[in-house]
Amino acid sequence: MSLRDLNAKIEAGFLKFIKNSKILNGNELYIEINQDNIPELGVYLNIDLGCSLVSLFATDEREFNHYRLYYSFAERQSGSLIILTSVVDQNSSTFMSISTTVHAAARYEQEIHDLFGLIPIGHPNLKRLVLHGNWPEDNFPLRKDFPLSHKPQTVDCISEFTKIKGEGVFEIPVGPVHAGIIEPGHFRFSVAGEPIFNLEAQLYFVHKGIEKLCEGNNPEKCYYISERISGDETIANSLAYCQAIEKIAGINIPEKAEYIRVLFAELERMTSHFGDLAGICIDVAYGFAGSQFNMLRAWSYGMATQLCGMRFLRSVNRLGGVRKDFISGKEKSLLEQLNKIQKELEDTVDIIINSSMFNDRIENTGILDTKIAFDLNAVGPAARASGIANDMRKQFPYAAYPKLKFKVPVYTDGDVNSRMKVKIKEVFESINLMRQVIENMPAGKDFERLGPLHPHKEAFGITESPRGENVHWVMTDNNGNIFRYKIRTPSFCNWPALCYAVAGNIVPDFPLINKSFNLSYAGNDL
Amino acid sequence: MINITYLIVQIIVVIAIAPLVNGIIKKIKALSQKRKGAPILQLYYDLYKLLKKDTVVSDTTSWIFKAAPYIVFTSSLVAAMLVPVTTMLDPIWLAGDLILMVYLLALGRFFMMLAGLDAASTFGGMGASREAMISSLIEPSILVSLITVGLTAGSTSSYQIMEYMKYVDTPLIRPVYFMAFIALFIVTIAETARIPVDDPSTHLELTMVHEAMLLEYSGRGLALMELGASIKQLTFITLLANIFIPHDQLILISGVGAVVLSVLIYVIKIVFISILIAVAEVSTVKLRLFSIPNIAALAFILSFIGFMQYFVLGR
Repeated sequence: MSLRDLNAKIEAGFLKFIKNSKILNGNELYIEINQDNIPELGVYLNIDLGCSLVSLFATDEREFNHYRLYYSFAERQSGSLIILTSVVDQNSSTFMSISTTVHAAARYEQEIHDLFGLIPIGHPNLKRLVLHGNWPEDNFPLRKDFPLSHKPQTVDCISEFTKIKGEGVFEIPVGPVHAGIIEPGHFRFSVAGEPIFNLEAQLYFVHKGIEKLCEGNNPEKCYYISERISGDETIANSLAYCQAIEKIAGINIPEKAEYIRVLFAELERMTSHFGDLAGICIDVAYGFAGSQFNMLRAWSYGMATQLCGMRFLRSVNRLGGVRKDFISGKEKSLLEQLNKIQKELEDTVDIIINSSMFNDRIENTGILDTKIAFDLNAVGPAARASGIANDMRKQFPYAAYPKLKFKVPVYTDGDVNSRMKVKIKEVFESINLMRQVIENMPAGKDFERLGPLHPHKEAFGITESPRGENVHWVMTDNNGNIFRYKIRTPSFCNWPALCYAVAGNIVPDFPLINKSFNLSYAGNDL
Repeated sequence: MINITYLIVQIIVVIAIAPLVNGIIKKIKALSQKRKGAPILQLYYDLYKLLKKDTVVSDTTSWIFKAAPYIVFTSSLVAAMLVPVTTMLDPIWLAGDLILMVYLLALGRFFMMLAGLDAASTFGGMGASREAMISSLIEPSILVSLITVGLTAGSTSSYQIMEYMKYVDTPLIRPVYFMAFIALFIVTIAETARIPVDDPSTHLELTMVHEAMLLEYSGRGLALMELGASIKQLTFITLLANIFIPHDQLILISGVGAVVLSVLIYVIKIVFISILIAVAEVSTVKLRLFSIPNIAALAFILSFIGFMQYFVLGR
């Protein structure tokens, strides 16, 4: 179904609601409706049409006396986005919550409540999410009248967690400081002995104000900020940002740059997956396999260093393409390294899949139910291990992916084993993709120059990061600078899914399940 | 006089060798992962460093927390005194037997579990409850396998068992001893918090057993706990080495030379068994916590088969 057919279908059913609709950037259908009608149309899109809610955000447009909400739904068959927009009155500051029916909306509504001070009416659990209790109640950092340099006073508070009552039920508080060198996060387990009834994760200890930081800045500077959203998703995030800006500028990037972008994106995926696989093995004390995967990861970093002189792949992209031709002259060495990595990986995988003790640990551990995964819009390898074949590289094709051949591995068990297998298969696909890129590299320019951006333009940039789909949205202001930059990373979607996957397992299996999801704390808390 | 010499030799050898076992096991694990690994003597450096450091004690703890390291260390050391490293010297007393050894170690463990609970931290209680579960599962196998060996020797004193075993021709090809050896080997792995029962090198508090109880300790308390644990480990390895692979019958000389030679051969056997343990660790994966009863059942069945075979096959 094309976007126009979809539009016609929605208009047929809901014409009386629609105040205005427009198609931008080829695949983004913006429909403006009244706030009161959002629940009805949202449920229609989510439940009846099966579109998943991929982002929900607000903008502060009080120069026009309102806030505006954007509900973005992804129609995955045709690769199009349906964005319901509605204004929220600046005096009442309330909007209708849709999270009792569109469950994925719950966290977004909490986020908007914290950062904009808009109140979702009917939200089932409106506790603070992004800002903890020690932040004053009336400071809303993403409002335009909140200065970036403002440091609010700390307020005394006690954190509230869901209490589970019953004989022998205990709470185990873990974190935010952990024993290993990992990011901060507080986990509150409700347990009876070892089995876990409920896990509540309090994250957002590393709020950096990235979205606020970008506002009013020029697009070039924000590129560098976008690279630093999450340390191991540099390419995925900067690519999403670049794609949004390139759509606003209305340019097509050179084919060669598209290919180089794919190579780096896949290199990043491979490196990240090796880290996850090593983590899974080390968590069950499988030292041999753990160090094999860590070695492979180090080899991948070696490739990155050879290509761009930087393991974390910063400053590879640029607006309009890539910074330079990183590949030419290194093709032979790259192919040799890919062969070496593939061979070592095949050998390692052969050994570990035959280890019955290891399989006993990872099978049936941390099962994420398909229905829950769909309702929460779980993304990436976690969703693909639960039977949901979502991959933005196929559904919203970008860069050179439509020209390359690759498979999207899907498993249906939803346990640690499935997530691990998905990641192993994806690494093989990544190696395959990198080979295709090197062999089919077109000639041409590295980048296209961008002029100043048009004012009041908006666009989405979507990529598939190692952790899953990455949805960025950029709107320009009067001067062509950034008015609002909304970043939705895959970790934001998968954290609630993790809490569901953990329930019913035993406490000592939590680190393993957590590692199989491998979510980013910094990338979740912008 | 000879008894005091026994005491001195025993204490020096046990304290000097115990941390070496950890070093060897860690080194072999590192080599299996293509790493250089820490020096074999690392635990000695760590203990020296810890003994020099201040201790930090939580305000919420009672006397148990402060007393536990001394109790754990002392009970391990006294238990180690009951298992001679060489039979060339008469032990201090014949009254103390293997059953006393098992329960001296249990006393240390009991106080370690109390200390884990005492600080009321998140992980100490989890570690203590898991330790209680594992030790109660593994205790029958220790007793049955040791009593089986004791039955053949006609004594439960480790010195007398070792004296007897010297004259048994290659014990490990005999089913009774072989079963008891394997059972005791599994017991050793479980008792010393090694893979597949526990992971001594993990940083994940939620999965820890032994380490979780020590999390609150620092400085001298931690050093004593660590040394106590490694002495306990050496005691089990000494049982394996000196009962099932006796060596003193090979030494034909007597006097000081014989003792030195005997201790040297003992050290070689300890290294050999440490390598066996390291191989077992490298080739397995940590079990799911609720699968540990399976391995405990395996150890018990093996020891029980050995026990039955004593009655069927005799010695």
